This record gives sequence, C-alpha cells and structure tokens, in this order.
Amino acid sequence: MLKVLDRARLLVVTGKGGTGKTTVAASLGVAAAGRGRRVLVAEVEGRQGLAGLFGRGELDYREARVGERLHALAVDPDESLREYLARYGFAPLARLLTWANLNRFITAAAPGLGDVLLVGKVWEAATRQVRPGSGGPGAYDLVVLDAPPTGRVVPFLRAPETVAELARVGPIRHQADRVKDLLDDPERTAVVLTCLPEELPVAETLEGVAALREAGLPVAGVVANRVTGDRLGGRAARLPALARDPGPLAAAAAGAGAGAELDRAALGTLVEEARDRQRLVTRERRLLKELRAGLDGLPMVELPFLAGGVAGPEEVRALAGHLVPAGPGAAAGVVEEQELAPDRSGRDQARRAAGAGSGGG
Amino acid sequence: MSPRTPATAAGRPARGTSAPAAVAGATSPLAELARSARIIVCCGSGGVGKTSTAAAVALWAAQSGRRTCVLTIDPARRLAQALGLDLLSNAPRPVRAKALPARGPGSLDAMMLDMRRTFDEVIERYARDTEQADRILANRFYQRLSSTLAGTQEYMAMEKLYELHESQRYDLLVVDTPPTRSALDFLDAPDNLNELLDARAFRLLIAPAQRIGRGYLRGLNLATTAMTKMVRRVTGSELLAEVGEFFAAFEGMYDGFKARAGLVYDQLKHPSTAFVVVATPEGAALREAAYFAGRLAADRMPLGALVVNRIHQARPVPEVPAAARRRLAADGADGRLLADLLELHDGLETLAEAEQRRVRELLASVPNLGVVQVPLLADDVHDLAGLRRLGDYLFT
Repeated sequence: MLKVLDRARLLVVTGKGGTGKTTVAASLGVAAAGRGRRVLVAEVEGRQGLAGLFGRGELDYREARVGERLHALAVDPDESLREYLARYGFAPLARLLTWANLNRFITAAAPGLGDVLLVGKVWEAATRQVRPGSGGPGAYDLVVLDAPPTGRVVPFLRAPETVAELARVGPIRHQADRVKDLLDDPERTAVVLTCLPEELPVAETLEGVAALREAGLPVAGVVANRVTGDRLGGRAARLPALARDPGPLAAAAAGAGAGAELDRAALGTLVEEARDRQRLVTRERRLLKELRAGLDGLPMVELPFLAGGVAGPEEVRALAGHLVPAGPGAAAGVVEEQELAPDRSGRDQARRAAGAGSGGG
Repeated sequence: MSPRTPATAAGRPARGTSAPAAVAGATSPLAELARSARIIVCCGSGGVGKTSTAAAVALWAAQSGRRTCVLTIDPARRLAQALGLDLLSNAPRPVRAKALPARGPGSLDAMMLDMRRTFDEVIERYARDTEQADRILANRFYQRLSSTLAGTQEYMAMEKLYELHESQRYDLLVVDTPPTRSALDFLDAPDNLNELLDARAFRLLIAPAQRIGRGYLRGLNLATTAMTKMVRRVTGSELLAEVGEFFAAFEGMYDGFKARAGLVYDQLKHPSTAFVVVATPEGAALREAAYFAGRLAADRMPLGALVVNRIHQARPVPEVPAAARRRLAADGADGRLLADLLELHDGLETLAEAEQRRVRELLASVPNLGVVQVPLLADDVHDLAGLRRLGDYLFT
C-alpha cells in the first residue's frame, strides 16, 4: 500500500457502497501528503462527503487547499464540460450548449457522457504540467479519486473509451486514448478497494477485484475498514468460565473498592457484552482471513472501527496514521509493504478504537 | 453516569417527536404497509441493508397471504444470494416453494432487472413496426446507452415496475433501489426522460438542414450549421452521426414514452405506494436518509417509514468511581481484565448513545415518520432463515 502512496500518480478508491470509500480516500490523501507528496483528493459523486472530513462546509469544482500539500475538489460534470470546451478553444460553444439546454441533456439524461467529463477532469489534474509563473492551479504528484462503487466503477473509468469507440478522430478520441494510457499503466495508476469485515462486502470485494483485473485496471490492494479492535486478545478465552462464575472479577472489584457498584448482575452484563463483542471479533477475523486468501498475495491493510464515528479531520488524521508506519524509516523514505493489524500498536490504538461493536441481537 | 435505559429493537409510533426510547409493544409501521400497500420502494445509501430489508418485507407479506414480487435493480447479485437463487432473470421467478408455508394464497417471486433486455423490450413495444425497432436496436449510440452508460437502468426500472404493476399478477411489489444518488435518478427518471426527449435544440442541431426548411428559421439554421461544425470538430463526426440517427430512428416514439413515464410517476405518488428509507445509525447513512426523506416530501411522494439497521445496544451498568477504576487497572490480571471490560462497556454505551442521538436528530427534521430500529444481528442475513429473523425485528 505504501509503495502505491509514494509512486502512483492516480489512486482510484472504490468498494461496495457503505464501506467507507470517501473516508479511506481522504485518509490516503492525508497519508500521502504527510509523506511529502502534493496531493489532490477528488470526489465525483456529488455527495459532498469530503468537505466535512476536511473540516469545510462545502467543496466545489475549484481545487481548494485543505492542508499542507493537500487540495480537494468535488468534480462537477457541467463545469467540467465548460472547462473541457474552453481548453480546446470552444468557449462560444459552451455558451451555445447552455443556451440549448444540452448540458442537462448530457449530465442528466445520459450520465454516462457525464462520466467521460468527470474522468477527463481527473485525468487532467493527474497529468497536469505547470509552466512556472503561469498563475493557474498547481501540479500534483498524486490524485486520489473517490470513485463510484464497485458495481459502477469499470463502466465509469472506461466511459471515455466507450464514447471514443464512436469517435475515431477528434479531441474526444485523442483524450480517451491518453486516459486509457494512464489507467492501464500500473506504474502510474493504482486501484484500491475498500471493504468491511462482513460477509457480503467480502464476497463483493473479491468479485470487484476480479472484474477490475478483467478490465485491465491495475488493482493495488484492499483496505479493510472498521475492523473491531481485539482488546482482550487471549484473555477472551476466560469469558465463558467467568460468565458461569464471576467470582474472580467480584474479588477484584471488592479489592478495588467497587464491590457495591459491580455486583454479580453488573459483572454478568459486562462479561456478556464482552462475549458478544468477542463473537464479532472472531467472525471478523474469519472473514478477513477468507478475504486475504482470496486476494492471493494482494496487499491488505486494516483500519480500526472508531466508536465515535469519522466526523472530521481529527479522525481522518488518525486513520492516515494507521495507513503509514511512524518512525525514522518512513521519514527517510525507506518503504516496505506492511500490514497493520489493529492490535499492532497496543493500548493507544485500543483506546481510540474502544467500544467497537457488540454482537448482540 | 447513571444506569441507562437500554435501546430496544421495537418500533415506535409514527410521531416525529424526539422521545428517546422506543415504545415496547407498539405496532411496527411496516406492518400496515406490508398489509395494504401495492408498491413499496426501499431506498437509502449503499451498504445499509436495503436489499435484505426489501427481501424480508416481501417474505413477510408473502407469508401473510399476499402475492408478492421483490424486484432489485442493484447490479450486484445480492438479492440472489439472500433469496438463495443462483440467477435472477428479467422475468419474475418463484422463490423455492419449500421456503414458504404451503397454506394460504401468498406467494413470493423475485427478479433482478436486466436493464438492456428491458430497454430492448420497451423499444419493441413502442416502435411503429419491426423496421423502426431494428434500426434503433442496431444503432451504436443506443447500444452504448442501454448497456454501458450509467443512469439508463433507472428509467428501465420504472418501466418494469409499471409493467408488473399493470399486469395485476401481484398484490404487492417490493422494489430495492441502487444507492441513494442513483435512487434519486429513479425518482427523477420521468423528468430526465422528458428532458432527453425534449432536447429539441439537440434534434435541431443534428437534423439535416432541409428538415428545418422554413424561411423564418433560416437564421437559426445558419447558427446551428456553425454549431454543428464545431461539435463535429470536438466529437468526431461519427459520434454525432450515430446520435443523430438514434434520435431520427426514435421519431414518433417520444409521445408514448412520455405518456408512459407520466403514468409511472403518478403511480409512485399514489397513496397505495410507500417509500421506505433504510439507513444505519452512522452519520453518513443518516444524512443520506434525511436528504432522501426531504426530497420525497418535496415531490409529495408517500413516505412510509424509516428502518434503521444495525443498532448497538448497551445494558445498564452502575458507574464505577474513577479512583476505583485506577485501582483496578493497577491490580493483578483479574483487575486489569475487569478494567478493560468496563472500558469496553463505556465504549459501547458511548456508541449506542451517539446512534440514538443521530436517529432523534433525523426524526426531528422529518415530521410524522414512523421508525423501526433493528439491532446489530450476530450473523449477516444471507438466507431465508436470516430474512425471517430480520422480519421478526421489522414487524414486531
């Protein structure tokens, strides 16, 4: 995953709906910027999910600075069309299209054509060369794309080619060819899938990897999101016995002067809740093992479940911290493939991830 | 902290107040819908359990004696998994009989939309003759539009839904929609379709000059010729020609399409339809749910209920003073374990409270919305037994 953060020009983040694509895209962007790259995080689905994560009210088609070496924007098809036409010297046409209500035709009636413009805009930002002193928007080392969900991502990324099949010459054809060059190049492009440690998302992630590979898109890895922290570890094995007889816990409670609050009923509740959670942890471990086996050597990184949810920049920074290892090696640019288990950094992480999930119901 | 009221799984009455706890024994707002609605549309953002919820509602209705069909337009084959069907076709198929009680008139069919096939069927239905249908079906722009380019499936879902409704083969159709943004396209489909067909300027642009013909249009004609030249330079001429042929071939089908889209829209607005917004208690999913509920209200669509899946629950435990906690953590293995159990409980309580607060905030913004809360289930719902368990939470 780190290799990708340091080398790729375009990082496409996709995944089953609800698995945290936007959060992961923002965290990858923050992580890469933290490693010294100039990063743009782009959202294309118009949900305004990025804005809150970067602590802003709203993002629009303009590239806004949201941190050190970090910019973000929400790509808008209408604006991309105007920009596209202006770039090729067709500004008057853009005004004519507006007059003829064709923007709506393109972006509302046939969203696939809108996809061409969205992908084109992302391609433009990823390959932009800036002339010194041009005064325009800056160049980026990496564009992180918060892409449509797995079911839609292949047609989305291939939309320029699809339309170009009908156009053998002209700027659309030309641009489509160059978009394809970028997307097909594993040195420059990397697709990352987000997943949850749940049954259907795991199955869909494996299907998604296969579909992306079949389409010739370079898959770089999977981020398993919202993994419940294993706070108890091996001690969980004591829970069944403690459920039958909470004596040892009662003794500890009495010794600490909390015997009145923690009576047998309260201790029973605590043990039951921990057992529910442990069932969840065990199930997640099994599913992640299945996922790992299905990925067949493809890198996988885990992100912890944050009990308070991911509401803003603070949580995004915490998640970014899980994506890159801290320490002198990273600072010196010494990079290895590394998997981060949620229990890796011990209590600190457990504190942040505390309270994730009960298996009750 | 003091002992807390646990969150419960029961439904609460259809009032938009911010009363904190669910009311035990209250009738689920879904029960009435599953008894009387003709169409139930489940919508919400991705990964919130829409497909399972739609299937569980359909199964419940079938078991209570209604002829039911559940329709998914989600491209992932999740419903197929949930219903134990290996393959869904573009026509409803009965869900294995042994899965349903033999008694009573109820039945359950399921189908997944093949949007390309549906689009072709619609073309065939509305074309003047096979010659017109063949011209459209052979058009490359049409082929791209109907199979690859996103957005078309929502139009086609509308068509299929209406076709099934008109057939009167079912008492209840339960529709599972794609994630919210696309689901809004579903709602917008009649308007979008009309806009597509009404892009007269576009037809003017691509039509051969002689069609415009009349003297008073001469100036416009000159302008469009200049525009056509520019468009050709941008797109390459073949694309434009294909699009032009598509619109030309489509001539005469507009009115039928538009009329039909209007009928579908009217049916969605009809009181016998109910929209069920599905969410999880996470911020993003609830924001999408709020947006969707607001959007449905703005279009005066019948909003039936809110289903919140995967609710966390913490049971009450007396507060332990901080000093005692410190002593526990510094104690031997048993003390540290107990301190960790307390922290896990605190985390769960924080999570459960945050979820209830977010649900209340949503309910405060949407008046008169009945809500059903479903606890986090120990297992994913991926078979009929799982759907029945989910149904128990949804309806009781």
